[in-house]
Amino acid sequence: MSILIGAITTLAFALLIIAAIGVIRLPNALARQHAVTKAATLSLSLLIIAMMLVAVQMDWSGAWLIKLSLLLVLLLITLPLASHALARSSLYEEKNR
Amino acid sequence: MMFTTLAIISFLCSLAGLYRLLVGPTMTDRVIGLDLLFAIGVLFCLLSAWMNQNSLYLDVAIGLALTGFIATLAWSKLIQQPQQTVAKPEEDS
Repeated sequence: MSILIGAITTLAFALLIIAAIGVIRLPNALARQHAVTKAATLSLSLLIIAMMLVAVQMDWSGAWLIKLSLLLVLLLITLPLASHALARSSLYEEKNR
Repeated sequence: MMFTTLAIISFLCSLAGLYRLLVGPTMTDRVIGLDLLFAIGVLFCLLSAWMNQNSLYLDVAIGLALTGFIATLAWSKLIQQPQQTVAKPEEDS
């Protein structure tokens, strides 16, 4: 169980590093938005899943699971919407330059 | 030890977001940097909840995620407004 938690956490932070590299190196705003939103969403979701596994393993109270699943659902709903809005404003700026 | 390493990695990634926030050539780039900074803020809240074993930090993370969402939507709507030209007052010569 703890090997699985360690692997998921490592993967989450590797994705965060990929997002940081992408936001520096990619050439234009649309590509940067693509890198940041996808990698950061997957990274946060994996970290939340790892914390859920920790809460089950260490037998913490039920409030942990409720709050973590609420945060996971909230992130999975709101981050694609934010990504869509950013892509639209990027296209608008490229068109009206 | 593990949490210190993870916090240092998150801090270095937040420097990348701060660079894009300060340097970014267009307005959308700055909002993208802000989005990465909000994501890393949520991640710091999760890390401190895990480290201190205190579930109160998760409430902070939920609030921060909602604030970042509203902020990104508001900035993108603001960018998509047509540029308003400010009428200059007539100069009397």
